[in-house]
Amino acid sequence: MVYEFRYLAPRTASELAALLDGHKTDGKILAGGTDLIPNIRNGLMKPRVVIDIKKYEGADRISFGSDGLSMGPAVTINDVLRSKDARERYPVLCGCAHELASHQIRNRATVTGNVVNASPCSDMAPALLCLGASAVIRSATGERIVPFSQFFAGVKKTVLVPGEFLERIVVPAASAGAVGRYMKLKRIAGHDLGIVGVLMTRHEGRLRFAVSSAAPTPVLVDTVTEKDSPDEAARKVLAAVSPISDVRGTREYRVHMIGVYVRRLLAEVR
Amino acid sequence: MFDDIKTADLAYVGKKAGRPDMVEKLTGEAMFVSDMELPGMLHAQLKKSPHARARIKHIETAKAAALPGVRAIITGEELDYHIGLYIVDKYILAKGEVRHYGEAVAAVAAETLEQARAAVEAIEVEYESLPPVLHHMDALKPDAPLVHPDLGTYSYVTAAFTPKPGTNIANHTKLRKGDVDKGFAESAYIVEREYSCPSVQHVPMETHVAIVQWGKGDKVSIWTSAQSPFTVRNLFCHAFKLPHINVRVQTPYVGGGFGGKAGIGVEPLCAVLSRKANGKPVKFQASREEEFSLLPCRSALTYRIKTGISADGRILAQHMTMYWDSGAYADYAVNVTRASGFSASGPYEIPNAWVDAYTIYTNKPYGTAYRGFGHVEFHWAVERHMELIASAIGMDPLEFRLKNALRPGCHTMTGEEILPGTGNVVKCIEEAARRVGYGTLTAAEKAREKKTGWKIGKGVAALQKAPAMPSFTATSVVLKMNEDGSVLVNLALCDYGQGTYASIRQIVAERLGFDIEKVKVAFENDTDRDPYDWQTVASKGLLLSGNAAILAAEDLLKTAYAVAGEALRANPRDLAHDGTKVYIKHHPSKSVSFSSMAVGLAMPNGNGIGGPLIGVGRYIAQGLSNLDKETGEGNPAIDWTYGAHGMIVEVNEDTGEYRVLKVASVYDVGRAINPDIVRGQAIGGMIQGLGTAICEGYIYDQQGRLLNPSFTDNKIPTAKDLPMEIECAVVETPQVDGPYGARGVGEHSMISVAPALGNAIQKATGAEITHMPMRFEDVWRAIQKKEPIDNWITKSPVGSCRSAPELRNHE
Amino acid sequence: MKIKLTVNGLLYERDCAEHTTLLRFIREGLGLTGTKEGCGMGECGACTVILNGHAVNSCMVLAAEVDGAVISTIEGEAQGPSLSDIQKSFEKHHAVQCGFCTPGMVMSVKELLVDNRKPSTDEVKEAIEGNFCRCTGYTQIVEAVMDLTGQPDGKGELEHV
Repeated sequence: MVYEFRYLAPRTASELAALLDGHKTDGKILAGGTDLIPNIRNGLMKPRVVIDIKKYEGADRISFGSDGLSMGPAVTINDVLRSKDARERYPVLCGCAHELASHQIRNRATVTGNVVNASPCSDMAPALLCLGASAVIRSATGERIVPFSQFFAGVKKTVLVPGEFLERIVVPAASAGAVGRYMKLKRIAGHDLGIVGVLMTRHEGRLRFAVSSAAPTPVLVDTVTEKDSPDEAARKVLAAVSPISDVRGTREYRVHMIGVYVRRLLAEVR
Repeated sequence: MFDDIKTADLAYVGKKAGRPDMVEKLTGEAMFVSDMELPGMLHAQLKKSPHARARIKHIETAKAAALPGVRAIITGEELDYHIGLYIVDKYILAKGEVRHYGEAVAAVAAETLEQARAAVEAIEVEYESLPPVLHHMDALKPDAPLVHPDLGTYSYVTAAFTPKPGTNIANHTKLRKGDVDKGFAESAYIVEREYSCPSVQHVPMETHVAIVQWGKGDKVSIWTSAQSPFTVRNLFCHAFKLPHINVRVQTPYVGGGFGGKAGIGVEPLCAVLSRKANGKPVKFQASREEEFSLLPCRSALTYRIKTGISADGRILAQHMTMYWDSGAYADYAVNVTRASGFSASGPYEIPNAWVDAYTIYTNKPYGTAYRGFGHVEFHWAVERHMELIASAIGMDPLEFRLKNALRPGCHTMTGEEILPGTGNVVKCIEEAARRVGYGTLTAAEKAREKKTGWKIGKGVAALQKAPAMPSFTATSVVLKMNEDGSVLVNLALCDYGQGTYASIRQIVAERLGFDIEKVKVAFENDTDRDPYDWQTVASKGLLLSGNAAILAAEDLLKTAYAVAGEALRANPRDLAHDGTKVYIKHHPSKSVSFSSMAVGLAMPNGNGIGGPLIGVGRYIAQGLSNLDKETGEGNPAIDWTYGAHGMIVEVNEDTGEYRVLKVASVYDVGRAINPDIVRGQAIGGMIQGLGTAICEGYIYDQQGRLLNPSFTDNKIPTAKDLPMEIECAVVETPQVDGPYGARGVGEHSMISVAPALGNAIQKATGAEITHMPMRFEDVWRAIQKKEPIDNWITKSPVGSCRSAPELRNHE
Repeated sequence: MKIKLTVNGLLYERDCAEHTTLLRFIREGLGLTGTKEGCGMGECGACTVILNGHAVNSCMVLAAEVDGAVISTIEGEAQGPSLSDIQKSFEKHHAVQCGFCTPGMVMSVKELLVDNRKPSTDEVKEAIEGNFCRCTGYTQIVEAVMDLTGQPDGKGELEHV
């Protein structure tokens, strides 16, 4: 790293909140570092202070209780894949986690980081959207809970304001057992960002779709019903997204592939 | 150098043998330049152009110079050195005008990387942006801006190249054979198509890096990650007008090159910084992004081919026009053009041929050598063209290939006669086809199609390449015997991963008759210590250096025999040797050991005779000639290595998604000196070829900014991208002047992988793809007969994630 | 700041700048240059080390974060003068060409084999998916791991026509 900054590692959540409050403009939260550190390396971000969110008691906790699966800000993608609760109760979460980057990155990247980064091609966002997960957001002044359907505000933007951090992600117990599959179109078979990604879940008679890399934010579509024909389902999903043309693919191809994936998923996810 | 000895009768050649560099590389002990640090070393960083073409109005460095730790700042204005391989057209730092995005305009050396980076950011450059010329076809238009208005004043290698001052044409290579008009007139069919491929990156895992110390008395020490230490020295001395004895170039372990490190790279930049910093060593290592845009890439190509075919499927005439995108500087691209010109038809006989090959300047990062030296690119065109001709005339593509393939008695386009020992492309094609079950689907394949709904297709593509090198290319090998009778091999041909040193070691052990454990090939090359080699390029290393190694072994034995003859009072003709001693044939008990002679033999009375045993082998390419500039006639090829790939692919017609089920690669290598290394080259190159076939390529916006200068959007194959099945086989038609009959195969594995894939996709779906790479979307468009997208210079650069520079800077 | 960590079984206590990556710390601070930088962006895996049991890209970890950690790098792989089993199998199968990706590759394989003594070829490929190799085409690396785990497929030979 050729840009200098200070490194702070608060030992309690309140200490973290206080630090963030004091560094609203010049501080950045470090979770897995898989986005922040390259961004600093490339000079895209020049924080004066980097605040490690992983070191406070409980930050790495992943647990299942009456309100569902709770993941602290230091829980990595591979922690999810290794969690018996996640694997058995939320296979969809694991399916998306498995599609994220490479093994080394999954050992480091966190679930919270993946959503706070708010990339349109987030792989974890589709799962959290379909499973009805919520973000528990904390700051020096308090706590608020925002469902992921209202969490993303634009390309690389969330509802978090300076001073706030994502303290926990809660996937509701009611979503346990949801079946689904995430289809991610890539340029190579190896690790890559998605050209488009479509997740479909089926749970207690409800269908849900979430789409990545097809709009300024990951998009949830919960208007498709079992009665809809595959074409009607594809039409509904496509109505909710606005893919663009870029170096990874054209809008035309993205639209086509989203339709293909919706139809494939309807046939495959049982 | 070929001796007709069966592999079974050889001790090491043709057998399994380990690589001599394994322990160092597997333990992390192997020292690369990127690992090196010298006392007092400074770190360099560069200020680079955000424009593809602009006038540099002013560079303000005062603020940067005042920053802590800064020891030298240099701009192009204060330098007056031109560098260039064949056309001397490049400055060390842009001067007056920048010619491509990412070109360096100023350089800083400072105590730490952090300080260097801070200084670079404090440098202010005032540009006047100028309209760039980006696409090489646009650069040919009469009103196109000139990338090099002073082209007419540059010096260049006149025997081989023809620049066109007043245009963007850096070179025009011509080839004329027979009477094409007559050939076309006699043809029953004429097929004309155009093919293209974008620029791509070599992606050596170790980026370009050098440390240079400009010492007192203008003595310069260079440590560099380069393929060719002597060429670095030679070009460096020419640029700085220094005597060769003043400059020492050392290349320790090199982390890959693939042609991208063939010539001179970042060494001059470090040198001028070191000189300005009063002789402190300066290190510069390119970032991965700089590897993409500061350092050279592979040229893009547009290739138009018009072919006349007889009613029975014989090629009668072919008109070929190649447009090579040189980028901002000529570098190797002009020679890629020349080498591709004389090989432009692929391994087929063309009785009447007409080739025009142009190297065209544009405002983009410049093109250089890349594994295959043009052959990967133009074989894409040739082997797709063969397929499309076959389908146009209603003939099976395999049959059409075999009907027109070069055989003994045929003549290449430059007039060289194919002999039985030249190599057997027909056998390679047939074997590749057989190995993929070409022509039909097995029951299992049919069942798979039914189950998946994806269509399976099988394709074949052939290839040829000869080393592209000066007609008088030379090398040398020196053997030095150690006190214990073991042997050290010195040569300046580099082994930067390809494994040539393992083969050289086998050859030396074989020829000496020594245990291979007693032969060491010294890694880490040094122009002050190693004997000359021109360059490690062109798949010529094994043939030339292998022959030199044989000669060196024979020379060492001759010297040893002379000493032994004197010691044993015997005529050297009556001597023989084994792995440890020289003895009298008719009195085998009378012997003298190599170890006793190694550094000079002491006679019983104490008299010394002989002296250190050294063997010298020198080898120069034989029988090659310059090509006639008007007709292309001449003898450019020391050897032709032929080969073919067979491929099985399954394609989803609705989406363009595909999977490669099998690749079978077959090469006529003459003799596989080390089978595992041949296989390593075969698979490594094939996967590299597959990368460029499926996804790799530079994408620019309309201002000429590179949109994908990193692994984020310029993917290369991973382990997951391997075909499901890979087979490698060799045909062994001995190369009569090759070491133990061997010929090179380093580059060939990358050639014709893409057309084999394209041909298989066409068989599966009917899609007529003429542009590579074949991303899923490209395949989908071709199947759906939609307008192809050419987003290699794109109108809509806005990426959804991290693609576009505009987005990056405003995040 | 001062950090204390165990690398290849040895305890180190060092001062490090707070913005230093683990990769630079290992290479420049500890002089363990076997671990390489290929991209600095976590894409290529040349910098892979094992951090508290997990393979990570050390270019995206700060040295400051790993205070108290246990790390393995390529320099700790061979015990004494002889190569480890992974290294020996790589050597046997010519799974190395230029050697620049090799240290990271070996680290990824090492992590895989800790919990999985009989990985399938797909599992091997997934374990090294994040390690780019531009030379070998990966095949001989996969073969080395399959052979090492007692599952050679016997196909890894050049055939003569």
